[in-house]
This record gives sequence, structure tokens and C-alpha cells, in this order.
Amino acid sequence: MRGAALAVLALAAVVAVGAANNVPHLTQNLASQRGYELVEDQSASSTEEPAGGNHKKDHDRYPVFSVEFARVETPFIIGLWIFCASLAKIGFHMTPKLSKMFPESCLLIVVGVVIGVLLFHTSSGVQVSPLTPDTFFLYLLPPIILDAGYFMPNRLFFDHLGTILLFAVVGTIFNAIAIGTSLWAVGQSGLFEFDTPILDMMLFGSLVSAVDPVAVLAVFEEIHVNEILYIVVFGESLLNDAVTVVLYHMFEAYSEMGPANILPVDVASGIASFFVVALGGTVIGVIWGFLTGFVTRFTHQVRVIEPIFIFVMAYLAYLNAEIFHMSGILAITFCGITMKNYVEANISHKSHTTVKYAMKMLSSSCETVIFMFLGVATVNNAHSWNTWFVLLTVLFCTVYRFIGVMILASLANKFRLHQLNGVEKFVMSYGGLRGAVAFALVLLIDKKIVNLQPHFVTTTIAVIYFTVFFQGITIKPLVRILNVKRAEKRKPTMNERIHEKLMDHIMAGLEDVLGRHGNYHVRDRFKRFDTKYIRPWLIRDNKGAEPKILETYSKLTMKEAMEYMRRNASTIAAFPGTESMSTLFRNCTQTNMDASFSFTQLDSSVQNLDMQELEYNPSKKDLTDAKIHHLLSEELCKPRRHRRLSYSRHAVNDRDLSTQEVNYKMHMNMRHIISGKHHHKRSKKLNKEGKPHVSFPGITQNGSVKQFTHDYINEMLEESDSNDVDEARPSTSGLNDGPEGGIVFTAKSTPTNTGPVSNSNLLTVHPGQTHQQPRPNWHLPLKQTTLSSCSSAPGVVSPHPNHNDQPTVAEASLPWRRSQHITDEAVVHTEDPHPKDPGKRSSRADSEEEAVHVTPTATETVLPWKRDDEAEQCTFPLKQQEFPGWCSNKEYLAYNSPSSTFLGGLDQPKVASVIGLFRRESTVDQEMARADAAILVIEECPASPVPSVVVCGTPPAPPKRPSSARRGSLLELGASVDPIPEEEAGTPESSANKSPPWAQRRRRKQGACSSSYEDFRSNV
Amino acid sequence: MGNTSSLLLREDEIAQIQEKTGFTPNQIERLYSRFTSLDRGNCGTLSREDLLRIPELAINPLGDRIVHAFFQEGTGDSINFLQFMQVLAHFRPIKKNKDLKLNSREQKLKFAFKMYDLDSDGKISRDELLAILQMMVGSNISEEQLTSIAERTIFEADQDGDQMISFAEFCNALERTDVEQKMSIRFLN
Repeated sequence: MRGAALAVLALAAVVAVGAANNVPHLTQNLASQRGYELVEDQSASSTEEPAGGNHKKDHDRYPVFSVEFARVETPFIIGLWIFCASLAKIGFHMTPKLSKMFPESCLLIVVGVVIGVLLFHTSSGVQVSPLTPDTFFLYLLPPIILDAGYFMPNRLFFDHLGTILLFAVVGTIFNAIAIGTSLWAVGQSGLFEFDTPILDMMLFGSLVSAVDPVAVLAVFEEIHVNEILYIVVFGESLLNDAVTVVLYHMFEAYSEMGPANILPVDVASGIASFFVVALGGTVIGVIWGFLTGFVTRFTHQVRVIEPIFIFVMAYLAYLNAEIFHMSGILAITFCGITMKNYVEANISHKSHTTVKYAMKMLSSSCETVIFMFLGVATVNNAHSWNTWFVLLTVLFCTVYRFIGVMILASLANKFRLHQLNGVEKFVMSYGGLRGAVAFALVLLIDKKIVNLQPHFVTTTIAVIYFTVFFQGITIKPLVRILNVKRAEKRKPTMNERIHEKLMDHIMAGLEDVLGRHGNYHVRDRFKRFDTKYIRPWLIRDNKGAEPKILETYSKLTMKEAMEYMRRNASTIAAFPGTESMSTLFRNCTQTNMDASFSFTQLDSSVQNLDMQELEYNPSKKDLTDAKIHHLLSEELCKPRRHRRLSYSRHAVNDRDLSTQEVNYKMHMNMRHIISGKHHHKRSKKLNKEGKPHVSFPGITQNGSVKQFTHDYINEMLEESDSNDVDEARPSTSGLNDGPEGGIVFTAKSTPTNTGPVSNSNLLTVHPGQTHQQPRPNWHLPLKQTTLSSCSSAPGVVSPHPNHNDQPTVAEASLPWRRSQHITDEAVVHTEDPHPKDPGKRSSRADSEEEAVHVTPTATETVLPWKRDDEAEQCTFPLKQQEFPGWCSNKEYLAYNSPSSTFLGGLDQPKVASVIGLFRRESTVDQEMARADAAILVIEECPASPVPSVVVCGTPPAPPKRPSSARRGSLLELGASVDPIPEEEAGTPESSANKSPPWAQRRRRKQGACSSSYEDFRSNV
Repeated sequence: MGNTSSLLLREDEIAQIQEKTGFTPNQIERLYSRFTSLDRGNCGTLSREDLLRIPELAINPLGDRIVHAFFQEGTGDSINFLQFMQVLAHFRPIKKNKDLKLNSREQKLKFAFKMYDLDSDGKISRDELLAILQMMVGSNISEEQLTSIAERTIFEADQDGDQMISFAEFCNALERTDVEQKMSIRFLN
């Protein structure tokens, strides 16, 4: 009902527009359509008014209110038309029954006709059709074709280019000549009761034979046939433009000359001009396409104007081709096809969205306006109806279409791998809709030269109506009845993308072996050329040979991240709003970083040595929170394949708008979290076997000897354990949880080590183990459970070969770990939290009183999502180890931001992207790797009852106290581990290379742990 | 030179090859002339070098693997014409009502799978996938990105949780891909 009401409203509005349109028409005669006339009229009226006003009354008062419609008339009426057409469109979609039965194009034409009738009766004798060929060709058509070209599935298009060209060129010529000669032949019999000169008939045949891209799009978008069928018909409708243009101009010129004056030269030049028009249009389009790519290469400083280049340059390509009477449609199509790949790589994500939406919007509204105008233009009194002529034209159009398709399809099948079967042939011929292009062309015919022009107009309209209405309406049920393979639009998965690329390469290789130059060979060759010569020139940030793989990867991971965060965040209700990307990013980085990476985790636990956390006891609420969180993340998060079943050209799916630059590290984490599910199952198994599997980094590793504090925490934890045996049990117990390795929350165990199968798995396990291992040592007095696990530790560790001077095996083999690790270290070192100590101490004082939420470190480690405020604060050392929200924001990095320190050094240049950042840091690795080696060494002699603890802070160079020098000392320590004095035991070893604040505070505060760096050194 | 030797293909040989591979005699003749023109040594067999001498194949990022695939079932360093044809038979388009084993969907998938599976343990490990990715993508992408892509890919396809892609998982992952089309080539008659 509402929809109907709206439609009625639209109608009423349109009529109103029509009235507004017509009143001035009575006097101004179509001013709105003919620019120059308007200008004249305007100037006339505007000169009149001042003349009337100023000269007669010299001192006219300033008017409070005045009306001047003439000045805004043209744009106002155009605006109203578009508005009303769109309104009508909305109306259809609110009446589902109607829009299900009829294609949109039909409904729009009907509305147009109704309006046309109304206008016709309100204003007599004026031609009301606003659809002049020039408006159509210069303003309405280009957006639609650009949209088609820009979003053309390139691969599909070029795979079937041969077939498409066959249909577009040979098919169209065949149709034109066949229709023309048939009509002429019938005309000879006198059936039409008017003279039918052969050339006029050929002219008519050539314009009425062309399949119309707008009509085809409008119908095929709705029936969702399979992509091959779609691309063949649609590609034909695009590419036959060149043929139509040439044939049309050729026959127009011939009929101007008269049949007697045509020499063979004219025919030859007509044929030659076909190649000029087609190739010229294509070349112009391609050149403009490359130019667009080149221009967008430099727009990264002014992102806002990126989209305009795409539109304007494509439009210029169109006009440029029209200047030389080349095929504008070909030009803009190929411009879109060419520019797409390069432009997409250059422009920002937001620009991409803008382009997409704007293009869809433009083409959609142009299409609406075209169909509506078509309806309006139908109603006039210039028609000259000749039943036989109309009927026979419709008949010939249909019959020859069928014949042409059948012949050409069987011809094409000889060269095609995919054979077009009968049903497909039928749909192809049935889908040959005529449309506005033919209508615009027929309007262009000069009445003085071709007397039959009124007949042609009427007949063309009839043909269009027949194809759009009859075929357009029936094609949908027919497709259903004939069981045509439907399109299945979906995003490729990673596997599909990669394996299909592989197949491409295989096939190309095979063609080479066979010595044939087929599709694959040509594509392969072009891709090589493209990668080698074109891309470096046109793309700012060239990503290498297979951008698609990267793109798919980014899209998928981004989608998963969003999905994951949306689900979890909303269920947990910890984050009120997940709308903004930045929130999402922050959330997921924070939630994941320490939970999934064993290395990260180690580091985080190391940093938790802050004295403050001794006073921390996780409240019941926090623990329950943790439990719920883990449960939810387990249950809810599955990477799912999304299938989009339907596709509409004018629907822009938000999922399509994935980002281009992605924080890969973060994605890994996302994935790891998600994959945590598998691990968790395994860990559950282990649990059943009686092995403890959960460790609690933040608490277990804190550097204290205050046993009672520990006892308290442990009590708390055990309580929670007893409450809930299986999930998210933060207990200190499980250190050697076999393959689980690492310090893990149950819900999110370390990523790679799901099974003992692969090498990498084994490797990743060990670093985690090694770092953990010292832990039991200081828990010895505390918990019996840890003892047993401790004793088994050496066994786990031993498989490591030589750790001494090399990066750990895991690091060597798993570069992303290494860089992660290093990032963390760098962060810790560069952000010397020294100056913040006072504040911390005071907070610690507070925390002694109410020990729950004040200390950030432990809580944060336990409950990562509690940490969302950290990005802003940046005060605590803990926070540095993960990537806060702003770090995923590329633009943020460009400015002077905490990122400069965060990224590991003021002296280092700022990096534009996070990816670059990682890359850079991984090169810094060696140093870090050595530090790790030291740690490994320590862990190699775990059997010694003395906790192998390294306090690593030898006083280094004054300004940057904590960093590299300390690491050096660590190495020494690693070499000579054993004689570490008992008192040092209190400090956890791996923490050594980490944060200075705890060390300092410790020095100041504690008796047992009071040894300073110097003491420690002397001990060594 | 090469073309003259194609005359040496005897009727019974053609019949035998036709039976085993499903190629028509014309196709066999054609391919034999190609075979002999590749066979520089005129010894009736092709060596790896013979294949790698094809310029385009040499710059194909997967050229080595493709050549390797030709030699997998053979006796080592050289293949004879029958073996050559048997590999090519994988890529014959599938025709209804003619079911030969070599060009079934599964065989095509198997061929692609073997591209990855260097150690032929029936599984694609992370490293194997990574190796292929490196070949295809080239050097412009950092290793860590590639690694994460590889892991992501394996994770996506991995159903039994062993961090590898088995052949069954591989087939599942490509369930919706038109492998029959993608891995077929039109052999001229």
C-alpha cells in the first residue's frame, strides 16, 4: 500500500513537473532542452525585465520578495525529472508484487507513458519529449557505459572476447543487412503502401538491429543468468556500438548521396572506417585509461579529488572519441576496463567506496531517466503508424536475431572450450533487447533526407516496446522454466584464488609445451608485460606480481576480523559501539595480541613484573568476565564462507568495501584467535589426560617473592578453577602442556602449534616453553603442581640444537614471530617508562589500599578487552607491547604521533604503513635474536634447582638506558648461567631484557630483590 | 627434421595411444610432430632440458614444476611419447558419455595438487604452499605477508586440523570452481 501510495505521489509530482515544464514551453518552446535557445530566451527575458523595471521607475525600492523562474528553469526541471523518476523507482520497489513480475525498465516506461499522456493533453502542439539525441548521447549514456566498463569482469570478458566480437560484429552486420533487405523486399511488393528505398531500409535496419546495452543490463541484472551467458550478451551489446555507428553513418551518408552516386570507393571506405571507428575508439579509451592510472598515482596527498579523475577522464575519453566520430561507447568501456586495475591499486579505500557508489548512482539514475523519457517520448502526434511495417519489422528483428545467434553460436562452438548449448543459445537470442540507443539514433535521422523518418520512429518505438515488454517480462519465467544455469556470485576464497592462479600458470605452461598461443598464453604474456613495464609506471605502491592474491587475502581477513569483533564485542557488551573501524581494529588488536602469540605473550608476561601487580587480585567479576569472554569467542567465532547469492548492479554491498592496506600482523592474529578453537579442543583433550594446560602469564610471572600475595592470587584462581573446570581457567599450573606451549589462555592458545606434526609446530612450541620454564622455579615453594611440570620441562626443551649464537629456531623459521617479538622489545626499550615511575608509584600506593582495579598490568593481561583505554594513555609499559588502535590507522602514523616512539626509535624514520614497519623491524632482528638465544641457553640448564634467572639490566649508555647494551649483557649471562645467586631468583629471567621500571622499583623497595644491576653484574 | 619423424609413428602405436589417452589419431599426429620438434636429440624421448628450452616455459614462474610434472610417473630423466601424451591427456576437455580416467575432474585436480605437493606425501604443507606462492607472487611481497597468506589459506581449507591440505580438502576447497573448464585445453584436430 505504501508503495502504491508513493508511486501515486511520484506520478503526481511528475505531472506537476510536466506542468512546470510546459508552462514555459508555451512561450519558450523547449527551452530546457536546447541550451542555446534557453540562453537566448533568458537573455531576452532578463533584458526585458530590467528594461521594464529600471528605466520606467528610476527609484525602485528594494524588493522583499521576487520570483525569477526563468533563470533556474533548465536545471530546475532537470532536477525535478530526476527526482521524480527516482521517486517512481522507489515506488516500484515498495510494491514487491509489481517489481517481481515486471522488470523495472517496463514500469519506468509505463510511468513515462502516463506522464507523457498527461503532458500531451495539458499542452497542445508542443513536442514534450525531453529525450533529445544529444542529451542522451552526451549525458545519459556515458555514465551507464562507464559503470559497465569499470565493473566489467575483465577476465571473463577477455576469455570470451572472441565470441563476443563474433556476435557484435558479424552478428550485427548480418542483422542489419538481413532486416534491411527483407523490409526492402517486402516493400517492393507494395504491402507498406509507401516507397521503400533500399538505402533507407538499410539505414533503418542498421539502427534497429543493434542490441542495446542499457536494456540488456536492465533485464539481465534481474534474471541472474550464469556469467558466461551474461557476458556474451552484454559484451555484444557494448561492442556492437562501433558497428552500429559505422553502419548508421555509412547508410546515412549513402542516402544523402543517393544510390546513383555511390562508388565502390565509398563502400570500401565504409568498411575501412569500421576499423578506424572501432580501433580508434578502443585506443582512445585505453590511452585515457592509462592516463587515469598515471594521474591517480600522484593523488595520495589529495585523496578527496581522486574520484573525480576517474569520472572526468573517462568522460573525456568518451567525448574525445566522439570528436573524431569514433565509437564513444567503446572508448569509455575500454577506458573503464583499463583504468580499473591501476586506479584501484592507487586510490584510497574511501575513494574506492566513493567511486563505486557514485558510479552506481549515476548509472542507475541515468537508466531510470532514459526509460522514463522513452515513455514520455512515445506520446506525441508525430507518429505515422503502418501496421505491416511495424509487424514485419518486429518479426524480422526477432527471427533474424534467432537465426544469427544459432549460426554464430555453432560457429563459435568450434573454437570454444565451453560449448554454448541450445538453452543458452535461446536465451542469448531472446535477450537481444533493443533500447534507447536505437531510439536516439532514429531521432537523429534528418527528415528532409529520409522521408520515412516518422515511420522509422514509430516502428523503432514499437520494436523497443516489444523487446522490453514482451521479451523482458517473459524472459524471467523462461529462464526458470528452461532451467538456465544461474549465476553464483561470491567472493573467492583464498584457496580458490591461489589454486586458480596456479591453474592459470599450469595452463599457460601447457600451451607453451604444446606450442600454441591460446588464451592463457596471451594472458600470461600480457601479465608479464604488465607487471614489468606498466604497473611500475602507473601504480604508486606496486605490490608485485599477483595483486589479486593479496587483495583477496586482505578482504577475507578484514571481513573475518570485522565479523569476529562484531560478534564478540556485541555479545560481551564490553564495547558499546563497534561501528567505527578504528574501534574494531583496536579491539581486535588488543584482544589478540597477547592472547595468541606465544612470543608476545611471553613479552607481556615479562613486563608484568611491575611490582604493582603484586597487589593485584583479580576480582571475581573479572574472572567471570574472562570466562564468558573465552566461552563466547570459542563458541561464536567461526570463519564462515559467505555466499552472496544474488547480485545487483546497483546494490553496493558493504562487504565489498574492503580495505586495501591491511595490517597483516593483525590479521594473523585475528586468524590465530579464530583458529584457537582447534587448539582448544586439543587442549581439552590434554586436560582430560590429566595434564594441566592453562597458564596465567600475568600472574604467574610477576616478579615477586611475596609469597603470600601469590598465595592469595592462587587461591583466587583456584577458586575460579573449581567453579569451572574447563574454560578459561587462569591457573598457574600447566607449564608443559605439551604441544600447547606458550603461555596461553585456554580460549586462545598459541596459533601455529596445533599439532606435533609439522616442523614449524614443534619449533614454535619451544620458545614458549623455554620462556615459561623459569616460572615454576619461583613457584616452587608455592605450589606443588608446578613442581611436576617443572621437572618435565627439560625434556621439552632439549630438542633444541644450538641456541647459543643463533636466533631461535622458531624465530628463524617463523619470521613473523620474530618481528613481533622485536616490535615488542623495541617498544619497551624506546618508551622508557622511567619518567612515569613517580606516578606509578603513587598509583601503587593507592593500590595497596584497594587492590583491585588500580593496577593496570595484571588486569589488562588477564582481561585484554579491559584495555581499550590504553591507547590514549600510553603510560604503562605493558601497553606498549601490543598495537594500540591508532597504530592501524595509517594516516595517524603520518603525523607526529606516539607511533614514532612506539615504532622503535626516534631516530628511525617514520614509516608510512604498518606493513612497511614490520618489514623494517624484521631487519633489525639479529640483535634481538641474540637476546633470545641467551634466554634459550638459560633454559637449557633447567635442572639446576637454582632458578635460572637473569636480571638483564646492566647499566647501559646513559640516554637510552634500557635497550641494546642490556641485551648484550644478557648474552654474557647466557654463556655463564649457573652461578646466579639465590637472591636474584626473585626476578624472572626472561623479564630481564624488558622493562626497567620494575627493576628500579625493586631496587628501591625490596630487600630480597634489592640487588641492583651492578650487584648483579658482579655476581655474574 | 622433426616433422619427418612423425611419419614414423606406426598405426598400432597410434591405436595404443588412442586407447590409453583418448586422443584422436589426428591429435596424436599433431602432438607427435610437436613432440619430435621438441626432441632436439632425436632420441624419441624428451628430457627436462628439452622442455625447459621452450622460452615461454622457462619464464613461467611455475615452469620447473610443470616440467617436473611430466616426469613424475616416468622413469626418471626422460619421457617417451606415450608418457608425454598421458600427461597431456589430463587436460582434455571432459565430454559427456565418454569417461576416460585421465581427464576426469579428479585427475585434473590431482595434477594441480601435485604441483604443490613436492614431497608427494599427499598433503600440502605450509612450506610447500609458501614455495608456490613465492614463485607466483615474486619478490615484492615480504615473506611475512606471504607466510600469513599461506597460513590463512591452509587454515581455510584445513578440516582435520593438521595444518596441511590433504587432497580431499583440496578438492573441497575447489568445490565451486569450474575445474573441468579451467584445466582443459582445446587440442586441435
